Amino acid sequence: MIVPFGHVLALGVLLFLTGACGAMVRRELIMVLIGVEVMLNAAVLVFVAAALHWGQVDGQIFALFIIAVAAAEVAVGLALVLAARNRTGAASRDQFSSLRG
Amino acid sequence: MPTLLSFLLLLPLAGAVLQLCCHRLLPRRLLEVCACLAIGLSCLMAILAFVLSRGRTSSFALYQWIRVADFQASISILYDPAAAVMALMVTFVALLIHVYSVAFMAADKDYGRYFCYLNLFVFNMLVIVLAGDLLFLFLGWEGVGFCSYALIGFWYKENANCLAGGKAFILTRIGDVALLIALAIFLASGAGFSLSEVNHAAPALPPGRITLIGFLLLIAAAGKSAQLPLSVWLPDAMAGPTPVSALIHAATMVTAGVYLLIRLFPVLSLSPAAMTAVAAAGALTALYGAASALAQTDIKRVLAYSTISQVGYMVLGVGGGAIDAALFHLLCHACYKALLFLGAGCLIMACNDEHDIRRLGPGLRRRYPLLFWPFLLAIASLAGIPLTAGFFSKGSILAAAFGSQAAFPLLWWLLGSFTAYLTALYSFRLLYLVFFTSDHGKAGKRRPLPLTMTAVLWPLAVLALLGGLINLPLGTDSGWLTGFLQIAEEGRNHRVPELALGLLDALLALGGLGTAHLLFGRGRVREAIPGRALADFCRQGFGLDRLYQLLFAGPYRAVAAFLWQGVDVSLVDALLLLPGRFLSAAGGRCRLWATGRLTTSLHGFLLGVSLMLILVTLKIYGLW
Repeated sequence: MIVPFGHVLALGVLLFLTGACGAMVRRELIMVLIGVEVMLNAAVLVFVAAALHWGQVDGQIFALFIIAVAAAEVAVGLALVLAARNRTGAASRDQFSSLRG
Repeated sequence: MPTLLSFLLLLPLAGAVLQLCCHRLLPRRLLEVCACLAIGLSCLMAILAFVLSRGRTSSFALYQWIRVADFQASISILYDPAAAVMALMVTFVALLIHVYSVAFMAADKDYGRYFCYLNLFVFNMLVIVLAGDLLFLFLGWEGVGFCSYALIGFWYKENANCLAGGKAFILTRIGDVALLIALAIFLASGAGFSLSEVNHAAPALPPGRITLIGFLLLIAAAGKSAQLPLSVWLPDAMAGPTPVSALIHAATMVTAGVYLLIRLFPVLSLSPAAMTAVAAAGALTALYGAASALAQTDIKRVLAYSTISQVGYMVLGVGGGAIDAALFHLLCHACYKALLFLGAGCLIMACNDEHDIRRLGPGLRRRYPLLFWPFLLAIASLAGIPLTAGFFSKGSILAAAFGSQAAFPLLWWLLGSFTAYLTALYSFRLLYLVFFTSDHGKAGKRRPLPLTMTAVLWPLAVLALLGGLINLPLGTDSGWLTGFLQIAEEGRNHRVPELALGLLDALLALGGLGTAHLLFGRGRVREAIPGRALADFCRQGFGLDRLYQLLFAGPYRAVAAFLWQGVDVSLVDALLLLPGRFLSAAGGRCRLWATGRLTTSLHGFLLGVSLMLILVTLKIYGLW
C-alpha cells in the first residue's frame, strides 16, 4: 500500500467527524441523512484500508455489506422523510417532538 | 317493680332512638308528640314507682355486664328514697321542658336532632339517678356530658357556640377523670363497684385513702356542678337553646355532682378533711356566683351565675352533713330555676332575641301577666322570701352549716348568710330591671307568646311557692323528706337555734328586697355594685376566665405552637422532606433531556459513542 495506514485512519476520523457534525447541527432531515451517509463511508474507508494493511479479505466483505446497508438506509430514510413531510408539512427535525409523549 | 323501673329508664332511650332513626320519615307533629310522650310515660312510671315502693329500697341487676375473676360490674339499679324523689323531679321537669320546647323550637328545622339529644339526655340523667353500680353511673355521667356538649353547640353554625360546647366538655372532663381515679381506687381497695357494697365497705378502708377518695369525688362534683375552681364553663353554656339551659344547666345535670356526693355520702362523711373541703367549696362558690350574678347584664348569664351560687348551697349542705337539706334545696331549686329559665326564654322570644336586661324594655308586666306572675313567684323563691320553697330549703342548709361537724362551721355559715342577702338583691334587681322599668320609654316590637310556653310555667310556679311543704320542720319533728330519706338522727347537732336562724334568713331576704327596691325601684337603672372596677371584676366572674387563660390555656397553646412549628414542621417534616427535595431537584435536571426532539437524542447518542470510543482507545493504549 502506497499511502501509509495512519494517514488513511486520520482521513477516516476526519470524515466520520464531518458526518457526525453534519448530522448533529443541520436541521433539515435530508441533510441529516447525508451526514449519516458520510459517517458510513468513513467506516467503509477504514475497513478497506485495514483489509489492505493486514492482507485479509474480511474488511472488504464488510465494506460491501456496509454499502448494501447504506443503500437500504437511504431508501427507507428518504421514504420516511417524505412520509413525515407529507403528514405534517414540516421539514425541520425539531418539529417532530411527539416522542416526548 | 323491676319492670316499672326498666320502663322508667328505657322509655327516654327508646324516644331518642326513634328520633334518630325516623326523623325524616315521620311528620313533625308526630315526632314532637313521641318525644313528649316518651318522657311523659317515663314520668308516669316514676310516679307509680314512687307510690308503689312506699319508701322501700329495691335493688336488682338488669344485666351482667363484665365478669372477670372477682371483678364484676352490672347494669343494676338501686332505687332508694333519694333516687325515687330525684327520678320524680327529673322526669317531671323534663316533661314540662319538652312541652315548652315544642313551641320554642317551632321555627327551627333541626327539631329531630334537638329532641333526640334531649331524650338521650333524660335517659343518661336517669342512669345517674338510678344506677346501682358505679361503672354504670359513670356511663350516664359521661352521657350527660356529651348531650350537654351537643346541645350547647346546637346552633353549630356560629363558632362561639361550638367553642362554648368544647369548653364545657373539657372542663367537665377534668371532673370525670377525678371520678375515674376514685373508681380505680375503689377497685384497688377491693370494694367493688356496687354502690351499696362500696358504702358498706368504706369504714374498713384506711383513712388516708378515704380522704383521697373524698377529694377526688369533690373534684368530680365540682366539674359537673360548676363549682369553684371548675365553674367557668356554665356561664358560657348559655349559648345553647334556652330550654336546654333550663333542663341541663339549671335543673338536672348540674345537680348531678351534688347527687353523686349524696349517693356516696357514707364514704365522704368518713373523712373530716374532705367534708370541710366540700363545705368550703360550696360556701365560696355560693358567694362567688351571687357576687358575679349581681353585675351581669345578660339575663341568661344572671341566671347561670345564680345557678352556680345555688348549687354551691347544695354542696355546702352536703359538706355540712345534711344531705336531706341538700336534696331538699336541689328539688326546690330545680323547680324555680327551671321556671326562671323558661320565663327568660319567653322574654327573649317576646323581645326578639334581646338578652340585655336593661333593654328588654317597658310594658312587659302589663303585656304578659301570665308570664309575670310565675316569674315573680320564682324570683321570690330564689330570693328566699319567707314561706316560699326557697326560704325553707336555704334555711335548712344554713342551719346545717351552722351546726356542721366540718371545721370552721361559723365561717361557712356567715358566708352562706351573706350570700343569702346577695341572692335576694340580685334576684330582685333582675325583676325590677325587667318588669318594673318606667312605662314611658318606647316599647320595641313585641311578639305574642304561644300558650304552651306560658302554661308550663304555672305548675312550676305552684311548686316554687309550695315546695317547702315537703320538708317543713313542724315543732321538734323533722320534715317529711328527712323522714322519707331515713336519715339517722343521732349524728345531728340539736343545739342549732333553728328559729333564730330562720328569723335571720327572713330578715336577710327582706333586706335584700329592700335594698333592691331602693336601688332599682321606680324604673331606675344603675349598677348594683359600687365602683366601676369592682363591677367589671364581678361581671367577668372574678376574672377566672382570664386567669385560666393565663395559667393553663396560654402556656398550653404556646407549647402546642412550639411543638407544631418548632418540632413537627421544621424538624420532623423537614428531615422527611429532604430526600424528596433532592429527588425532585434531580428529576428536574433530568427532565431537561427529555425534550422529545430528535436533536437531543442525537446529541446524547453521539456523546455516548464518543465516550465509548475514547474509553476503548485508552484501553488499547494501556492508559486506563
